[in-house]
Amino acid sequence: MTDDAGRTGGGDGPLARARTAIETRSLTALAVLTSAALVVAFYYPTATVLIEAVVVDGAVTVSVFAEVLTDPFYFGELARLLSGESPAAVLGSLLSPDRRLGIVGFTAYQAVLSTLASVALGLPAAYLLARFEFPGRRTLRSLTIVPFVLPSIMVAVGFVATFGDNGTLNAALAALGLPPVDLLFTLEAVVIAHAFYNAPLVARVTTAAWESVDASAVETARSLGAGPVRAFVDVVAPQVYPAVLTGAALTFVFTFGTFPIVLALGGFQLATVEVFVYRLVRDLSYAEAAALAIIELVISLGVLLAYLRYEARNSTSTRGARPLPRRPLVPPAPTLRELLPRAGLGVYSVAAGILFVAPIASMILASVTGGDGALTLDHYRFLIERQQTGAAFQVRPWPAIRNSLAFAAAATLLALPMGVVVAVLTTRRYRGRTLVDAAAMAPLAVSGIIVGLGLLRGLVFGVEIAEWRIAASGAVAIVVAHAVSGYPFVVRTVSPGLSGLDRSLVESARALGASRARVIRDVELPLVWPAVVAGAAFAFAISIGEFTSTVVLATGADAYTMPVAIERFIGRRLGPATAMGVVLLVVTGLSFVVIERLGGDHRGL
Amino acid sequence: MRIPYVTTEYNNRVMTTDESETRRRARPRTRRRFLTAAGTAGAVALAGCSAERTGDGGDGGDGAGSDGNETDGGGDTDGGGDGGDGETPTLTVATYSSFIDAPSVSPGEWLKEEFESRFDAELEWATPDNEVNYYVERAASGAGVDADVYVGLTTEDLVRVDEELDEDLFAEAGDIEGGDAVKEGLRFDPFDRAVPFDTGYVSLVYDSTTAEAPETFDGLLDDEHAGALIAQNPGASSTGRAFLLHTINRFGDGGVASDGDGEAIEGADGDPDYDYLDYWADLQENDVRVLGSWDDAYAAWSEGEAPMVVSYSTDQVFANMEGADLDEHQIRFLNDQAYANPEGMAVFADADEPELARQFMSFMLEPDVQGEIAQRNVAFPATGDAELPSDYAELAQEPADPVTFTYDELRGSADAWVEAWERQFAGN
Repeated sequence: MTDDAGRTGGGDGPLARARTAIETRSLTALAVLTSAALVVAFYYPTATVLIEAVVVDGAVTVSVFAEVLTDPFYFGELARLLSGESPAAVLGSLLSPDRRLGIVGFTAYQAVLSTLASVALGLPAAYLLARFEFPGRRTLRSLTIVPFVLPSIMVAVGFVATFGDNGTLNAALAALGLPPVDLLFTLEAVVIAHAFYNAPLVARVTTAAWESVDASAVETARSLGAGPVRAFVDVVAPQVYPAVLTGAALTFVFTFGTFPIVLALGGFQLATVEVFVYRLVRDLSYAEAAALAIIELVISLGVLLAYLRYEARNSTSTRGARPLPRRPLVPPAPTLRELLPRAGLGVYSVAAGILFVAPIASMILASVTGGDGALTLDHYRFLIERQQTGAAFQVRPWPAIRNSLAFAAAATLLALPMGVVVAVLTTRRYRGRTLVDAAAMAPLAVSGIIVGLGLLRGLVFGVEIAEWRIAASGAVAIVVAHAVSGYPFVVRTVSPGLSGLDRSLVESARALGASRARVIRDVELPLVWPAVVAGAAFAFAISIGEFTSTVVLATGADAYTMPVAIERFIGRRLGPATAMGVVLLVVTGLSFVVIERLGGDHRGL
Repeated sequence: MRIPYVTTEYNNRVMTTDESETRRRARPRTRRRFLTAAGTAGAVALAGCSAERTGDGGDGGDGAGSDGNETDGGGDTDGGGDGGDGETPTLTVATYSSFIDAPSVSPGEWLKEEFESRFDAELEWATPDNEVNYYVERAASGAGVDADVYVGLTTEDLVRVDEELDEDLFAEAGDIEGGDAVKEGLRFDPFDRAVPFDTGYVSLVYDSTTAEAPETFDGLLDDEHAGALIAQNPGASSTGRAFLLHTINRFGDGGVASDGDGEAIEGADGDPDYDYLDYWADLQENDVRVLGSWDDAYAAWSEGEAPMVVSYSTDQVFANMEGADLDEHQIRFLNDQAYANPEGMAVFADADEPELARQFMSFMLEPDVQGEIAQRNVAFPATGDAELPSDYAELAQEPADPVTFTYDELRGSADAWVEAWERQFAGN
């Protein structure tokens, strides 16, 4: 990927040889750089904390683990099994109605529910975005990821204003003469909020895969006599499944590690593992916190690896990228076959309007509502005033916007090559690939609280090597940390497409003398381009929304980002914070549109 | 993305949160001054990689910080050496972020200007994300503490620090000028390190236009108050923890922290068979909402999700500032009590400027400064002679009977109390 000049023939001169050498090694070099970034900004820092689970006061011990694993508070009935009770007795209690799930069991349970809800709400959106043509489609597709970057306090505000006792939904129901719903502070509210965050992820990943489905394969199937349903099941679905599962697996992992939103919209009776990790870290009880975090990590990674095994076994071959033609949203003929899916989408869009648009609209409304309930621009005036008169040590809006954009752009540019290189490495088949997969995906699966503490110890305080203390913080460290959290998305969006590519394409190009790096750049990436753009958008979103490592690594008020500003502007009235939240919303929305425009709709062969 | 938000609390909250700036500071003095200047220029920090000899200088700064566009090359040569050479000394004051940066009011800016005008010194704020824990980590990692004084210590902070570190993080305050003016009941550090500078009370805030709050803890269990109270997670929120401690003070701890010696905190209710866990079981039965942070709780309360919320007794000061209807912001002291959370300040044991730090502490106790802190931090002064507007007490209410646990009572017990409560409340 270092080669940017067009290939002008098969010259054998020293220049060409040098170029070939660089091309040949660029992949290796990138792989080495990626590993280095991961070690410095993730593995080493995280290890400084996780090791406390097994090393207590200088001695290696498994007692902390044993205690957590056999504690029914965390593992419910399963803990009895782990402490040696007979499986039959445990099974008996598991089947009884008053079984105990334990905190870990409950956390998994709510994550499963949240995943199902996110898939159910994400798929229709993917169908709409991938298969229909309508004005504003591309903008809508770009904006799908916006919910992903919203701070939890903003989502909590939007949800309370929409689904609360005095919320918009109940007002609408009352106007229709319907009874009110009591949604807040229940598991349902938490699951819906998780779907608000993650359905867009499922939708975006699935859309990218669906747009990469080759139309000629469908046409071939149809010409061989397959009906539209059969063609969908046999040709389209196998290429879309892996993406849906990607979305589902990522959703599970995120909602398994959920933290503030559960307490904000559910309450402490629904506390998840991460709530306890936070409390234990805060109380400096690192051994137990680290043990819990490792258990979280094992479960999350287990789910990711199970999914990766499935992905590896089920990749289907494709060799072209002429996308399926989109259908107009207005049915061409009033037949049942044309009307039914559109009617379904109509129902879906009402649900989506309530679920995604109403909370965001409530946030925007909150940003222009004063203490007396009247409309006002005071909160935006506050932002301007803080910009003009804030002290040097205070957080000001403009530097926050500028830093957010700069960090996110840099982190995306770093995450893209990192992600592509890892995707290429993990689509090959070799011994120990599972290990590489696990290592590459670990940043998704480790508790954010633990990573934050690790960055403090590993980077900010630094390491002492031969009387020198090596430390890192500030903008560069933030960008690397953001890229490390964002690059797994690039891997996960790009990888299924890459592994599905017809190997003969790559082999012919190689036979014609192209280097591996060049094949990736000129042949493979263009074929999975929608996935690359989606991955870039996610990497950008991760950086924009990141909070924990940013505050840990920032060197002062002038390295802060928009989420930090929102957090600082939270006061007794939420106006100033919501105004900053709307700024975040607008800035990121525009950025996504720009990214996808820059990416182009398609860049197929 | 792990939806990485941590809980935050409000302005006059005391200990808990995890917000704010992790300020990376380089070595003190000359560099600091340069950094402040560079910081105001507002340029993006370019690089923050550094390598520094650990043996030299003695201040052990990690040298990684660069607050502006300074590129921090390895092995720079500035060092201590400021002692008596006529340079303006810099005092680094660590605190929680809302003390210097809040959307409404915060004392930070005024204090900095006032201190610098009275002393020939520069005041630099540091608000690391993990607050006191950040310095515990620094001390434990051998990276050097790199600050002179901490403002905003609570009794629980001290307990936690003392349980974690073998060496002293803070030094004894010694003879602080004006220290005698601190109210006796507020002194919370038996080892005389932390000197209180303000205090707050955690009480109920309620909307009297929708419901009347009960007079007592027992009243909260009445059917008419079912689902009417929003509290906060005591594991992450200072108001939530204060409310939990208040219930322990009221009903006793049932010996959950006794280490098997059968010792228990007796409740003020005089019933040894009914402890705080029993009370919370009843409260949960009556549909109390325990949300995460003060922000979550106050936002939900403001939207009318419930008429009562656990918050601060200074609520009307803010409500008045915003021109809100005070009937919607009534204070209730259950059993005429409120849990007091005094905040203290202490000099770090390895402060570079211990004398200046003590001058700062006595500055913080001067009558006019005490008045300003109370008003700008929306809290109550720690001294008896603070200069406050005569109508301050009209809106900032104090309970007839403040309650609080001492350092000795909290030590060895607080964690067990919270954990027992968690296990009961979230038992799935």
